[in-house]
Amino acid sequence: MAEKKKVKLQFVLFDSLVDEGFWHRLSSLKLDTLGIDQSPINITGFYAPCSHALNSNHMTLLAESLPPELGEQSSLEAPIVCGNRNRCPVPGVLYNTNTLESFRALDKQTLLNSEANKIWEDIRSGRAVEDSSLLSRFLLISFADLKKWSFNYRFAFPALKLDPPATLIDLRPASVYFNLEEAESLSAACNEWRNSSLTADVPFFLVSITESLATIRPLRDWEACQGDHTKILFGFYDPCHLPNYPGWPLRNLLALICSRWKLEKVHFLCYRERYGWADMKLSLVGEALVSVSQGWSDAQSIPNAVGWEQNSRCITLASSMDPTRLAISAADLNLKLMRWRALPSLNLNVVSSIKCLLLGAGTLGCQVARMLMAWGVRKITLVDSGRVAMSNPLRQSLYTFDDCLNGGEMKSKAAVKSLKQIFPAVEAEGVVMAIPMPGHPVLTQEEDGVLQDCRLLQDLIASHDAIFLLTDTRESRWLPSLFCANTNKITITAALGFDSYVVMRHGAGPLCSPPVGNESPDALSVSLDDLSTVDRGRLGCYFCNDVVAPIDSTSNRTLDQQCTVTRPGLAPIASSLAVELLMGVLHHPDGIHAPGEIATSCSGSSEQPLGILPHQIRGSLSQFSQMTLLGHASSSCTACCSTVVSEYRKRGMDFVLQAINHPTYLEDLTGLTELMKSASAFELSLDNVTDDDEDDAFI
Amino acid sequence: MGFSSNWDGTLSPNDFNISARALCEKWKVTYPVFPPWAWVPCPRPFGVTSRQVEGYLSLEGFCCPKSIEGEIDNGSSSKEEATCPTEEEAVDDATLVQRNDRELHLYDLHIVRSSSYRVPALYFRGYNCDGQPLALDDIKKDLPYHSSKILKDSRWTFMTQEEHPYLNRPWYALHPCGTSDWMKLLFDNEASVTENEEIVQQYLLSWLSVVGQVVGLRTPLEVFSKKHNAMFCSSV
Repeated sequence: MAEKKKVKLQFVLFDSLVDEGFWHRLSSLKLDTLGIDQSPINITGFYAPCSHALNSNHMTLLAESLPPELGEQSSLEAPIVCGNRNRCPVPGVLYNTNTLESFRALDKQTLLNSEANKIWEDIRSGRAVEDSSLLSRFLLISFADLKKWSFNYRFAFPALKLDPPATLIDLRPASVYFNLEEAESLSAACNEWRNSSLTADVPFFLVSITESLATIRPLRDWEACQGDHTKILFGFYDPCHLPNYPGWPLRNLLALICSRWKLEKVHFLCYRERYGWADMKLSLVGEALVSVSQGWSDAQSIPNAVGWEQNSRCITLASSMDPTRLAISAADLNLKLMRWRALPSLNLNVVSSIKCLLLGAGTLGCQVARMLMAWGVRKITLVDSGRVAMSNPLRQSLYTFDDCLNGGEMKSKAAVKSLKQIFPAVEAEGVVMAIPMPGHPVLTQEEDGVLQDCRLLQDLIASHDAIFLLTDTRESRWLPSLFCANTNKITITAALGFDSYVVMRHGAGPLCSPPVGNESPDALSVSLDDLSTVDRGRLGCYFCNDVVAPIDSTSNRTLDQQCTVTRPGLAPIASSLAVELLMGVLHHPDGIHAPGEIATSCSGSSEQPLGILPHQIRGSLSQFSQMTLLGHASSSCTACCSTVVSEYRKRGMDFVLQAINHPTYLEDLTGLTELMKSASAFELSLDNVTDDDEDDAFI
Repeated sequence: MGFSSNWDGTLSPNDFNISARALCEKWKVTYPVFPPWAWVPCPRPFGVTSRQVEGYLSLEGFCCPKSIEGEIDNGSSSKEEATCPTEEEAVDDATLVQRNDRELHLYDLHIVRSSSYRVPALYFRGYNCDGQPLALDDIKKDLPYHSSKILKDSRWTFMTQEEHPYLNRPWYALHPCGTSDWMKLLFDNEASVTENEEIVQQYLLSWLSVVGQVVGLRTPLEVFSKKHNAMFCSSV
């Protein structure tokens, strides 16, 4: 390039960079102010001299490139932008279209010409000499898809085309072109220019060198600079880093020089920096031949313009603009924080992939669902047959007054809606269904419906990983307990008295093989050992301690007994414990087979990071006390013993129907009838046997 | 605030400002290779009457060292896929187009004082040269090996995504909990812990020497006066 040979002068097009903040502000501007208005908006771009040997500087759009948002200033006029040394303002115009089709259909050449014409006008009128920042302009066309948070856009940097084109005689690093003295003097002058707040953002200037002394002056001083021994160069902030080519701003500078001063030979300085200081090795000095284009003297003619970027681009900002994705990442990071600091072994994948089935969407169901979400559970199905009543929202944390209107929404549906409002990424489903219950005999004409419900429940349990029994009666827990025992699902029961609660996890199903080497009967498990009815090793279910089959518990009760009248703090406590218990099971190596542990006074006794994993937790608010208990599965349990499960497997829905219609059938089948007979024979007090069950007086 | 032996490792808003200024100055003088840190003043939220000037430190457009030199491509003989080949492209043979080097990753770093933890917090984001934000996985690939190790092992530095307190957009951040603890430890080793001014001057520099490593920003030793070299070494 250094040889004195005529070649066509080529210019490197601006590179563009749009900051995320620009799109954020454009989006809110579009939503809040512009609406469907497509009129052009004046914006400001910023650039600076190249300051990196390997990277060009970009024409950059920032949030402040756009007019201020509502509240700050209502007009959409050109923003008042203050430049600085790293942000030389460049006037631009934005055409944001309402559809992708109109974005594509924009007449690009016409738009480009109209901007180029502004430059031409400024050159002819002399405004560009006074304010050289008018020499560079840009054009941005865009389509903002605010539903997908994606933005299609394309830049143009209009440049007036010289005809005939400029030819290059010489181009070399400034450090080569100048002698040492000149280079040092020029560096100092440039640094002074760049560090004065008055001139730092003025991108075009004159360099005059007289007897090795360089001074920098504004373009308007051109006449005043003329002198016999003065060398004059036209300088510009060059965003380009390439050692053999000048950057784009030179094009319009040459047009100005041609049109205004009619020069034929132009010396120019491509000013570049390194670490914020003038760098004469990176800066280039060139010599070009230009000639006044034909027709430029004609006042009416408009030069041809070029300058579109080659391709339109698309940027997607869903990760920083889609509120759902933001909520997800915030939730994830919160859990990860827990893992990083306190619980390195927390298995978030297991938690987020587990499918939970909540039977009952009342005080307990609502609260359990919330706690599950807090732990990162994403898949929740709620089953309830009721509607939201006026008395519900105060205690049932997923409902509001609106849900009670017009007879009330179905609880399971309202709960799902609410869960999605809390966290849009939750995969929640609501099922309206009554759970068939023993002791509530089925009329023949209802039989089909009930059987259908039974099958639905069966399918629901089979398709979920953990089942919560959260209904308000004892008998409604029987069928799900049986199905869970049959399919060996993790089952958690929470139940409330007036001021006491029990939370427990059911043991594994009776017909599944326990893991090897897990036969460790606890020394503290004394409850029913003496009666030799214990299915050793396996943990009991909700019905294991009962010596009566579930019957209708709501008939013949007064109103305060029928409603779930409990101390309001109880349900959240029990629900939280139920979810924590599930997390314990999920993180225990033995899972559903994990032996029940008892709380001890010495802390840190458990090997598990989440602490001990009890079988049952019982608490009382009247005493503000809580204890852990262990009860093994009973071989005459009406819900989970092998006799019952085997019988169910054999007879299926016939068995279920019989159990529902004739509660004593279950007692006969399991030997409870027999047991009670022998118990009375030994004059044993039943009260003693069922002693620790007294809190189970559920309404 | 007085720095006594029971100083808790936190920084008042005023001390943050002083310390920020000290960081800017020293950084510019001793480490010109990086872009400078600049103080960005922020308008006070409505109704706040404190006379304190709020703001944060910002270092923007720091190129990831992995970026490679952009290649030159003649616009008139474009090999790249042209979006609308039928369209008359408004370029001429005097136009050169740099091939858009999408490998170039730029980073912005902000140091913001967390008012709840009363310590500085590092916010950062990465983006392609066309402004497309980088996903966390891309950022992790940019980080030097040792920083992913630090992130994994250290109890003090872990990444979260948080709303930038002034820009109200999600940025990545190193969570500031724990910062006061280790800052206290850091200065406890110093015999001159009672010299308040010294601590304020040095606070952000020392802090940055630790957290900056996580995002691949190595604080040059020269930033520290000789006196503090020992402390710096003991901190990493």
